[in-house]
Amino acid sequence: MTTTNTNIETFKYDNRIVRAFAIMTVVWGIVGMLAGMLAAVELFYPGANLNLQYITFGRLRPLHTNAVIFAFVGNGMFMGIYYSLQRLCKARMWSDKLSWFNFYGWNAIIVAAAITLPLGLTTSKEYAELEWPIDIAIAIVWVAFTINLMATIIKRRERHMYVAIWFYIATALTVAVLHIVNSMEVPAGWFKSYSMYAGVQDALVQWWYGHNAVAFFLTTPYLGMMYYFLPKAANRPVFSYRLSIIHFWALIFVYIWAGPHHLLYTALPDWAQSLGMVFSLMLIAPSWGGMLNGLLTLRGAWDKVRQDPMLKFMVVAVTAYGMATLEGPTLAIKSINSISHYTSWTIAHVHTGALGWNGFLTFSVLYYLFPRLYKTNLWSTKLANYHFWIALLGMMFYIVPIYVAGVTEGLMWKQFNKDGFLQYPNFLETVVQIIPMYKLRAIGGTLYISGMFLMAYNLYKTAKAGVFEPDTEAQAAPLTRDYTEKPGKHFWHHWLESKPIIFTGLAIIAVLIGGAVEIIPMFLIKENVPTISSVKPYTPLELMGRDIYIREGCVGCHSQMIRPFRSETERYGEYSKAGEFVYDHPFLWGSKRTGPDLHRIGGKYPDAWHYNHLENPRSTSPGSIMPNYPWLLSQDLDTNALPARISALRKVGVPYPVGFENGDAQKDMQAQQAKVVTDLKVGMVTADPNKEIIALIAYLQRLGTDIKAAPVAPAAPLTTK
Amino acid sequence: MIKYIVENIGGVGLFGVISILLFFVFFTGMLLWAAFLKKPFLHSMGELPLDDCECKQTKDQSSHNHE
Repeated sequence: MTTTNTNIETFKYDNRIVRAFAIMTVVWGIVGMLAGMLAAVELFYPGANLNLQYITFGRLRPLHTNAVIFAFVGNGMFMGIYYSLQRLCKARMWSDKLSWFNFYGWNAIIVAAAITLPLGLTTSKEYAELEWPIDIAIAIVWVAFTINLMATIIKRRERHMYVAIWFYIATALTVAVLHIVNSMEVPAGWFKSYSMYAGVQDALVQWWYGHNAVAFFLTTPYLGMMYYFLPKAANRPVFSYRLSIIHFWALIFVYIWAGPHHLLYTALPDWAQSLGMVFSLMLIAPSWGGMLNGLLTLRGAWDKVRQDPMLKFMVVAVTAYGMATLEGPTLAIKSINSISHYTSWTIAHVHTGALGWNGFLTFSVLYYLFPRLYKTNLWSTKLANYHFWIALLGMMFYIVPIYVAGVTEGLMWKQFNKDGFLQYPNFLETVVQIIPMYKLRAIGGTLYISGMFLMAYNLYKTAKAGVFEPDTEAQAAPLTRDYTEKPGKHFWHHWLESKPIIFTGLAIIAVLIGGAVEIIPMFLIKENVPTISSVKPYTPLELMGRDIYIREGCVGCHSQMIRPFRSETERYGEYSKAGEFVYDHPFLWGSKRTGPDLHRIGGKYPDAWHYNHLENPRSTSPGSIMPNYPWLLSQDLDTNALPARISALRKVGVPYPVGFENGDAQKDMQAQQAKVVTDLKVGMVTADPNKEIIALIAYLQRLGTDIKAAPVAPAAPLTTK
Repeated sequence: MIKYIVENIGGVGLFGVISILLFFVFFTGMLLWAAFLKKPFLHSMGELPLDDCECKQTKDQSSHNHE
């Protein structure tokens, strides 16, 4: 029975918060893409960092990814949610204070990231690089956002929860769970921490997080925005609401299982890899259901697409979503992954998603919102059209060369000659081959950013031409408590919608099942990580060297995971075993080989080779695109940090003896420093034992040596300056 | 403590069977639910984003702009 309510309420939608997020979306978009541009240039012109440690590729890459994901898309997501949620709920946001806390808190976190990442303060875990104090701030701000979101939904004036709101709820809750579980770390100082998990387990948790950050940060909120803004712009309802319901539940249930596809052929147990592959393939169904639902909404309205740049951007965004979600599962097939993994192919894939799906959808929503917020028309449709074509061309110029580069790398790494030897045994041959593609990619990126500037100017002029409306007045009747639905006629749907907390609980159960099934057995079954008795914890000097490796972001270009392929064991040595990483907090397997794998680098070259190589990589490896690291030769090792680090590692399970950090560790470190300096003298290098480079060399020489029966003598000829 | 609890969960071998059962029950239930929703209701749900007055005012905005 429905009770009619004539008690109409007048209220106001908050446009200020939407405008604030919209402006920061544009600002951070430009900043993040400029960081990406510089990183792209450094890949073919390694001197572009001007020998400054703060903007080497290793430190710039996480800055770029964090800025684009959390700053550009993050602000874009909040912009879209704060605008559409209020209108779909027929209610102002529950708390203006929480809205602004969300805005200032989130953007302060981004500023903190922009400061700490160039300083080398990083956990090294991809898309979760920020150190623990910032992690805590993220959790607090996210909880504030979630409370505001849920409270707004609870006090809504619209009886039904439109599907966009479901996507927003799933986003808020899942990101909180992912962030908290993956950020479990023990501090070793204000801006240094060690992951609670080690090796294989750390890898699984990280990619459960990393994959689902893509799902629930870059995808679900934007799908919610698609389901709201696409019908608005086309002025027609979504093609199939039934399909949108299936899209939602299938997507959130299946996505969470697919994380292990980032770790195929690694030391991760085979059952987890197979699980990841199967669920990745299943993801095609809900993803394409959603894409077709979006595109078919425009059936009979394609004339509007020709006229309205906002719809043009939306069509490309939805198409890019379809392409990326077909390609993702394809790359998760083990045989394809064996060629694509560690290559630029993955970079092309993620940029189809980032530039096409997130970028174009954000532009679309910005072009939709500004004229409405400022009560005017878009200043120039022609300029928006130029933006569309430049961005589309830029995207193509970006991804096509990188696809070519990726396939080239994958094939060259695996190519054997007729005698059964590697065709390209020197990794550098495969690097030099794709440098023209890196250059083309930079041109594509430049075009894409140029479009951003056109948009920023157009939106600025639109704002100048109009008058901002801080609040939009609206009217609706409040919901009555005595509303009941007849059993049997959508009873369950109404029951679920009328109880957002229960709905939220069910959504989170759907999400958690996949994570639990993957992660709990990994921690339970000892056979998942067979122990190797010769594997020992790092020495104090190696530990300090490892922390420098993390600080410099070496993991951005070098993997430490040799897969069990002949092409890899021929090139790098014995394949990597799960038991070799039991003391690796965090794991450093990496996801990209811009340079060669380093897991068996220990003992391969003499210490002097590493010294010269780090000072100027081209002195030992002509044509290398690795930056110079001259500061490692001049900066003193921060030995004061050692006790806290050993103590923190002991807390996460590394068996350093109690009290080791109170004298013995320092003595051990000095002895090893002296040994490295002596070894360097053999290579005609005179070095100060207290410099950072000594620790890094000690770490590199340790890598992958634990399982070797006897120490391997340096094999390569000495190279001196 | 958490580690202790996790390490002592019995019958972890059943995880695979439980997960596959959960998966089928979830999808069957969801598809049946979606299949039995009535068209008028789905139509009204699809109309929700259009149910405000703001879309009218900026309709056809492109013909009156800068060019």
